Amino acid sequence: MKDEYEMIFKAVIEGDVEGVDKLVRDALNGGAKSGDILNQGLIRAMDEVGNRFERGDFFVPEMLISAKAMKTGLAILRPYLVEAGVASVGRVIIGTIKGDLHDIGKNLVTMMLEGGGFEVIDLGTDVAPEKFASAVREYSPDIVGMSALLTTTMVQMKNAIEAIDDLGLRDQVKVIIGGAPVTQGYAEKIGADGYAPDAIKAVNLAKSILRSTG
Amino acid sequence: MLFKQLLEYSQPKLRVLSEDQKNALHSASLDVLQRTGISVQSEVTRKRLADAGCQIDADRIKIPERLIEWSLSQCPKHVVLCDRDGNPAMALEGRNCYFGTGSDTPFVIDIDSGLHRSAVIEDIENVSRLTDALHNLDFLMCMGIASDVPAQISDLYHFQAMVSNTNKPIVFTAWNSSNLEAIVRMAEAVAGSLENLIRNPFIALYSEPIAPLIHSQLGCEKLEVICRLGLPVVYTPGLITGASSPVSYAGAIVVANAEILSGLLITQLIHPGTPVIAGGGGMMTMDMHSMIASYGAPEFMLDWCSLREMGAYYGLPVFGFAGVSDAHIFDQQAGIEGALWVLLSALAGGNLIHDVGYLESGLTTSYEMIVAMDETIGLVKRFMEGVLVSDDTLALNTIASVGPGGHFLTERHTLDHFRENWRPDVFCHSNRANWEGAGASSLGDKALQKARKIISTHTPVPLTEHVIAGIETILKEARAQLDGID
Repeated sequence: MKDEYEMIFKAVIEGDVEGVDKLVRDALNGGAKSGDILNQGLIRAMDEVGNRFERGDFFVPEMLISAKAMKTGLAILRPYLVEAGVASVGRVIIGTIKGDLHDIGKNLVTMMLEGGGFEVIDLGTDVAPEKFASAVREYSPDIVGMSALLTTTMVQMKNAIEAIDDLGLRDQVKVIIGGAPVTQGYAEKIGADGYAPDAIKAVNLAKSILRSTG
Repeated sequence: MLFKQLLEYSQPKLRVLSEDQKNALHSASLDVLQRTGISVQSEVTRKRLADAGCQIDADRIKIPERLIEWSLSQCPKHVVLCDRDGNPAMALEGRNCYFGTGSDTPFVIDIDSGLHRSAVIEDIENVSRLTDALHNLDFLMCMGIASDVPAQISDLYHFQAMVSNTNKPIVFTAWNSSNLEAIVRMAEAVAGSLENLIRNPFIALYSEPIAPLIHSQLGCEKLEVICRLGLPVVYTPGLITGASSPVSYAGAIVVANAEILSGLLITQLIHPGTPVIAGGGGMMTMDMHSMIASYGAPEFMLDWCSLREMGAYYGLPVFGFAGVSDAHIFDQQAGIEGALWVLLSALAGGNLIHDVGYLESGLTTSYEMIVAMDETIGLVKRFMEGVLVSDDTLALNTIASVGPGGHFLTERHTLDHFRENWRPDVFCHSNRANWEGAGASSLGDKALQKARKIISTHTPVPLTEHVIAGIETILKEARAQLDGID
């Protein structure tokens, strides 16, 4: 393993955002391949962060700050990766459903997805079903993620899936949902493609959904 | 430095008696000691009390106030118990809380079969190892009475099992003064010398008067042995309110307090300065239907909190209760009563808090209960840290930089402090899906698994070969003596 990848690996684990920024630029300037920086530096580091979380050595704040470092590095690499033809992990649009201003859960999922190498477009809170649908048309994401904390707003998730369907885009995108009152049963009932009980599981779910669709 | 003047650390506290009430309870206790008197069944101790100025009235000993004042001026207010290596482990004073197991339950719930059966020496070894490993338990009592060793000297076997399996301080019981002498010799072997043991004691004897108001022959003889050496002793009442004391709170407290003060006098007359954990004690409530001595009764809880305050009123180290229940198995009731006691004893400020793991009003030991209560104690210890108000904890700069609608998850301040939060080990803090995914285990299942794992994997620091042989020799002598008697 080259020293520069090892240093990026360490900086991501330590959540050193500025360090990752500099190290990734230096590596590119030094002629390193963007795909190698991604796989041997950033992704390997996030795998290790995930392992530490599983073991109970790392907790949510440490994971998120590593995810932030990962996202910083990935943003620098992205144009180079596109040029080199390295496929992106996936694109997700995400939002808290209409009528709901609670966004801690949605933000957690966003940050974890970014840590997992996803490109995430955050539509924010109080997002109307039609807005989810038009964003699908505009951004062509692989996945739409919807969040709700309130049982009164949960029903809007079904409306959003219908709005996406109305534009004829339902078969081009996977819909995953989450939030405290949401269950696997509810996801099945409204025709979503998946449900995850927490942000870590959401990343696993997003990855497995994309693997199964190829 | 905007809020420098607010720098403050405040600990949660519970108070149940007013100053006036404590004064009245003290006066009433003196009245009992002077007018009713106490029964002292040992001739030696009776003579000691008479020589000191007590009035002997047939079998009654009547104690003047000045002797109580004298004994309160003699007993140490600062009592330290050490670990087996002689390092200070518990400062029994103020509101310092230390938790440990109980002693002498005839039964246990079998760790493998879940069946109720007589305790055996292996249980005492197991509980000792478990206590050694559990982070929130500070000291050890033997839990069971072993049924598979000679009954007359089972206390010696208990001590051997305990001292061989933990480095933590040990509070022990002894059946009589000669067994007590043998146990002290075992402790002496561990400490290297009697001098070392006295200077840095890792043991304390537990003994008690007999309610109401009796200091028994056996009890006095044990006090003679332990106090003459100046080794620490717990000598606190164990009464059953409504039966061996008045049923009312105040009357029960007065009987218990009179036993405490007269017991303290006996210890200080034997050897002024003997460290005695004399405050607190058991005031179990008689259930007037089932006739059990209830540990889960609210009356016992309030009685004990009151007695703790009387102990603090005199500046005495206080003996307490936690993690104890009337339930017969580790069930919801066991968890509720056990946890209430943990919180109460900490809020009230008991010092040497025992009986963690008791079920069935102290007749049965439960491994699950010990583990679940260790977890509860961890939670309560965190709660008892109280609120620290400082510039750093006020976090004004962080609040300003996040602003409305942002989040604190990746702030430096969060990263610096979130690990101060308590984390459960066997309690469930996961969401339903993850809990189901992990096998949907109940607390009892998880506590039992943890107990089994510790007992099968934890290795306490062993005693040296020399010490092990020394202890074995003392046991052999006791066995030989026993055979001689038979």
